[in-house]
Amino acid sequence: MMHFLLLFSRQGKLRLQKWFLPLPERERKKIVKDMTTMVLARKPRTCNFLHWKDLKIVYKRYASLYFCCGLESQDNELLALEILHRYVELLDKYFGNVCELDIIFNFEKAYFILDEFLMGGEIQETSKQSVAKSIEASDMLQETMEEYMSKPAF
Amino acid sequence: MPAVSKGDGMRGLAVFISDIRNCKSKEAEIKRINKELANIRSKFKGDKALDGYSKKKYVCKLLFIFLLGHDIDFGHMEAVNLLSSNKYTEKQIGYLFISVLVNSNSELIRLINNAIKNDLSSRNPTFMCLALHCIANVGSREMAEAFAGEIPRILVAGDTMDSVKQSAALCLLRLYKTSPDLVLMGEWTSRVVHLLNDQHMGVVTAAISLITCLSQKNPDEFKTCVSLAVSRLSRDYTYYFVPAPWLSCKLLRLLQCYPPPEDGAVKGRLVECLETILNKAQEPPKSKKVQHSNAKNAILFEAISLIIHYDSEPNLLVRACNQLGQFLQHRETNLRYLALESMCTLASSEFSHEAVKTHIETVINALKTERDVSVRQRAADLLYAMCDRSNAKQIVAEMLSYLETADYSIREEMVLKVAILAEKYAVDYSWYVDTILNLIRIAGDYVSEEVWYRVIQIVINRDDVQGYAAKTVFEALQAPACHENMVKVGGYILGEFGNLIAGDPRSSPLVQFNLLHSKFHLCSVPTRALLLSAYIKFINLFPETKSTIQEVLRSDSQIRNSDVELQQRAVEYLKLSSIASTDVLATVLEEMPPFPERESSILAKLKKKKGPGAVSVNELEEGKREGGELNGGGERGADNSNMAASNASTPSPSADLLGLRAGPPVNAAAPSAGSLLVDVFSEAGANDDGFLRDLEPPTESSDSLLAEGPGDSDSAPPSVVSEDPAAPLPESNELLNKFVCKNNGVLFENQLLQIGIKSEYRQNLGRMYLFYGNKTSVQFLTFTTTVTCPGELQSHILFMCTFKKLNVQAKPVEPLIEGGAQVQQVINIECLGDFCDAPLLNIKFRYGGALQNFSLKLPVTINKFFQPTEMASNDFFQRWKQLSQPQQEAQKIFKASHGMDTEVIKAKLLGLGMALLENVDPNPENFVCAGVIQTKAQQVGSLLRLEPNSQAQMYRLTVRSSKDTVSQRLCELLAEQF
Repeated sequence: MMHFLLLFSRQGKLRLQKWFLPLPERERKKIVKDMTTMVLARKPRTCNFLHWKDLKIVYKRYASLYFCCGLESQDNELLALEILHRYVELLDKYFGNVCELDIIFNFEKAYFILDEFLMGGEIQETSKQSVAKSIEASDMLQETMEEYMSKPAF
Repeated sequence: MPAVSKGDGMRGLAVFISDIRNCKSKEAEIKRINKELANIRSKFKGDKALDGYSKKKYVCKLLFIFLLGHDIDFGHMEAVNLLSSNKYTEKQIGYLFISVLVNSNSELIRLINNAIKNDLSSRNPTFMCLALHCIANVGSREMAEAFAGEIPRILVAGDTMDSVKQSAALCLLRLYKTSPDLVLMGEWTSRVVHLLNDQHMGVVTAAISLITCLSQKNPDEFKTCVSLAVSRLSRDYTYYFVPAPWLSCKLLRLLQCYPPPEDGAVKGRLVECLETILNKAQEPPKSKKVQHSNAKNAILFEAISLIIHYDSEPNLLVRACNQLGQFLQHRETNLRYLALESMCTLASSEFSHEAVKTHIETVINALKTERDVSVRQRAADLLYAMCDRSNAKQIVAEMLSYLETADYSIREEMVLKVAILAEKYAVDYSWYVDTILNLIRIAGDYVSEEVWYRVIQIVINRDDVQGYAAKTVFEALQAPACHENMVKVGGYILGEFGNLIAGDPRSSPLVQFNLLHSKFHLCSVPTRALLLSAYIKFINLFPETKSTIQEVLRSDSQIRNSDVELQQRAVEYLKLSSIASTDVLATVLEEMPPFPERESSILAKLKKKKGPGAVSVNELEEGKREGGELNGGGERGADNSNMAASNASTPSPSADLLGLRAGPPVNAAAPSAGSLLVDVFSEAGANDDGFLRDLEPPTESSDSLLAEGPGDSDSAPPSVVSEDPAAPLPESNELLNKFVCKNNGVLFENQLLQIGIKSEYRQNLGRMYLFYGNKTSVQFLTFTTTVTCPGELQSHILFMCTFKKLNVQAKPVEPLIEGGAQVQQVINIECLGDFCDAPLLNIKFRYGGALQNFSLKLPVTINKFFQPTEMASNDFFQRWKQLSQPQQEAQKIFKASHGMDTEVIKAKLLGLGMALLENVDPNPENFVCAGVIQTKAQQVGSLLRLEPNSQAQMYRLTVRSSKDTVSQRLCELLAEQF
């Protein structure tokens, strides 16, 4: 089971945090700090895995963003890498050439996409088509462009 | 779709986010945020009711602010309101806010639960999924209480949509992990297993996670999943040309909850599958994408885990090992890392240990050449795991040479590993001594106390290596710059065994002394203190050095040293050397006696480091910090041991520190002065790591030493093994509970002593035989035991204790247990009235001079005086009704802490001493018993009923008896038994 998933930039700015276990705020902050320092200190072309306390840390860099997750000791590291990749694929498909800014400005979408895909730290839906389809379906329920433009800007 | 993506957002939110991004400084950002918070607050408080869209927008802004790392203390109510909106987007934001921000705010939880309940029953699959996600995200106990019953129904209902089933399965898993007691097994469980056959891939994948977790806890109930999982393994979709990687991995993981299938056909199919997976690894890749190889190898590694888990198919194990061997040389760093990690577990299997060993050269090479420190660390772990007698020298040599260039982050752990391997596989101890001294030379800063204490313990315990150790350490000290730890070891060993090399003019006593003293000024205070103790030992070993050393001690820099400890030592040692006769000096400064054998403190330290090779930045820091703190305490222990010698003859303010309050007078100091040292030393050593505590004879000194702050000897509390009977050990209640339902067994065991027990009871009388076994090879002196009855018990039970020891029949006043011997003690017991507290047994003896003093509870409990009473159903219920006053009944509902096997329960109830009545309770699952407690004063009739609930893994226990205290006590005792 995945304990957490963090997205942070090369400068160590946290862009998305998902916790699959209830942890006190202080502990979360400590994990974020440890992960960013550890992962950002890694040289290029090193492996994607680390040990941290009882957890296996799996991370991968996509452009300017690091995707980093903490796994339990019996979880499969390679598969976790593919979970990260699947998530990137889904974001990419949704935003079209996803970049860091998309995630900053549409953080709630990034959460929704993640929720379609993972639940309670376990993978819920492995089919890219199914996830994309349900995100599309929920977008049909959103406002239209005209509605959007007619809204006040503050 | 991209066009949609940015168009449906909230404009106000986007503006706010870009404002924040444009802030030039942290202050500007905080200012902007505070402005926004004030704005939102006023909107929420305003008279005008907000429309759904605005509410959503503001809640979303609050969420953004929170995720930036600022505290949010309002807006929860508005978010909860959004949950009941019938607009999807509003509901969605509401749920997101709740998931991220709400932990278990009790007032809100009720409202949230209400909204969730509505959505779950809405039959709208999108709403249901949102609700299920929220439950899984928050996962609190209140939510489990509210929904643990509902979700299984949704999961197995025939008309539930597949997407909802997926969410329901994982949601249930989450609740099961937080509150397993609330998720009750039932009719749904068997249907869940059959989800493995579901047509919908997503449903199977989600369900396996749930089934795996349930199987780990209740393997028997889910046994059928094995064959279903095996048949599912060979089907399904592809991800980058790999068939169903997630599903396959989860299936292989599920199978690891069980032993190999017993059914030959199932097993055959599984082996075939595993072989196919291994074969596929040899095929050329179907795609150049890394996703293809990752997915394929993920399955391969999972299959290898399963093969290692079964550990019964030598063929597969060897193939797995060969496959990993190939990966060791793979150009993908990830694969090399995983192969090293996986091989570590393979190394412990007897079938594959040899096969793993054939890769030693590759692994050594990895240690030397890998660019990535985490890979090198796995290589070091593997070398450690594959080490045995045959390759120990090579591996230790390689690790030592690697240490010279090793990363700072893993040095400490490497040092520990080298030290352990060197000790474990030492054939000749000179090699061991060489290795450790090399360690200190190469990585002195990383050699913790445990390591150098250990080498001293071993040298002291083995006289065949002492001369060699003295010679080697003498040579090592010749180096112009040597590590302070080397000076410590040198000072200690030369002080003890310098005489063994004094015959050689190159290492004559004065040369030795000058060599040590040349390092003195470069050392820290604790090391200097140790050296001073070495000097006084020199005076005893080599009288010819006396005047030189006295001169040194007399010099102002010693005798007026500003450090109180150093000054005190200088003064005392000077005095001791000038007033004591040679005989007295020889006894006081006698060679250290052997240390008691115990688990290597180094091993304990490594074990404490979580898992093999778990090293992280902060953990190392922690380790260091700890090392630093303990440093003072530990060293104090080490040289206090030396110090004790002087205190034995010159009582000083610090005498209390050393456990000599009740110490022997000067002249009689001989045997104990020396050996007391051992104990202070070893206690300190053990406290140093603090995890040997369970192995320690729990004397009081260990606690007070631990509490002692490093450095300030004057204010430190006395660390004395009290002569007063010790308070009962913390585990004594547990030990007592072990004997409620049985009369014979081992009552207590530690490193030194084993206490066995046999007892028999008739009416209100009992006789107990205690067997004290000395597990060491050293005598226990002044062995005494006393039995006391705490408080009220005294008036009720009469104890007549007779001491009968094996070897000392003639003189029972001089009790002594030879090493390896056992003595017996008979205790007669008479129960006069009912009682609660068990009698205390205090045990005191001297082992190697150190006083051992601890107390246990004797397993005498009220139920020992039961007489079983057989009765028919009618009689039972009649009496049950007679005992209907409220205080006559005691009841407890408790969780099963063991399996709920009927036969075991029966055996325990019989052991309790009551009659187990068959065919009395209308429910055959329940147990009822009857008995009479015989005391001298009265008889107490008691009835008992135990109702197991195997679904909930709970019991309800009801005891009725004519005396309320008896009901209470029986209930307490029994609740600990099941």
